[in-house]
Amino acid sequence: MAERRKYKKRFCKYCEAKVDFMDYKDVAALRFSLSERYKIMPRRLTGNCKRHQDMIATVIKRARAAALVPYTVTRKTVVTAPFENLK
Amino acid sequence: MRNYENLVIVKPTLTAEEIQANISAIEEVITSNGGEIAARDAMGMRKLAYPLGKNERGYFHVIYYSVAPSAINEIERRFRINENLLRFVTIKYDTNREVTAWNQLVQKAQKKATQPAGEAKVEAEEVVIPAALEEDAE
Repeated sequence: MAERRKYKKRFCKYCEAKVDFMDYKDVAALRFSLSERYKIMPRRLTGNCKRHQDMIATVIKRARAAALVPYTVTRKTVVTAPFENLK
Repeated sequence: MRNYENLVIVKPTLTAEEIQANISAIEEVITSNGGEIAARDAMGMRKLAYPLGKNERGYFHVIYYSVAPSAINEIERRFRINENLLRFVTIKYDTNREVTAWNQLVQKAQKKATQPAGEAKVEAEEVVIPAALEEDAE
């Protein structure tokens, strides 16, 4: 419940910005829908609509395949600053 | 003809010239299979999110092109043979919405490609100006 209160269910940010297409190479834009451990955040926490959640899910999976975003972050493979090489 | 995008990750252990030679070989694979390269975007050397075959870094290069859908199998087969490629990701841009996005990405990449040339010109002018000043002093 504590986590649910932290993310109040709200409007879809992508709908408000009128996002039609997401680029998997733009890692900074994907950060919103990723958790601290780089899991895809559920819709009930981010407030994304179904359409944009489907889009972001495919885009994140593409970015994972391209080694732009990690699949998992465990205690063994701690990433101190994963986006340090971003400009 | 359908629009595609390919991201290739080249081994970081190669020298800069070898990387460029590899990328031109990759582009040659696309063009020899009837592809038309619209734009290319060199993302450069980056840290990988996870190691790929004991490599922590990789040279990222993106190629936007259009080719007949039947040629993709052959292009990917040729990519798999190349041992200097750590990873490649092929994205298809099929629907109307995706095609407009592809056009925007191509324009963005072309702008990015022309901008460093503009900066180089500015530097060249800066080099010229001191020379002119020296002539004035003489």
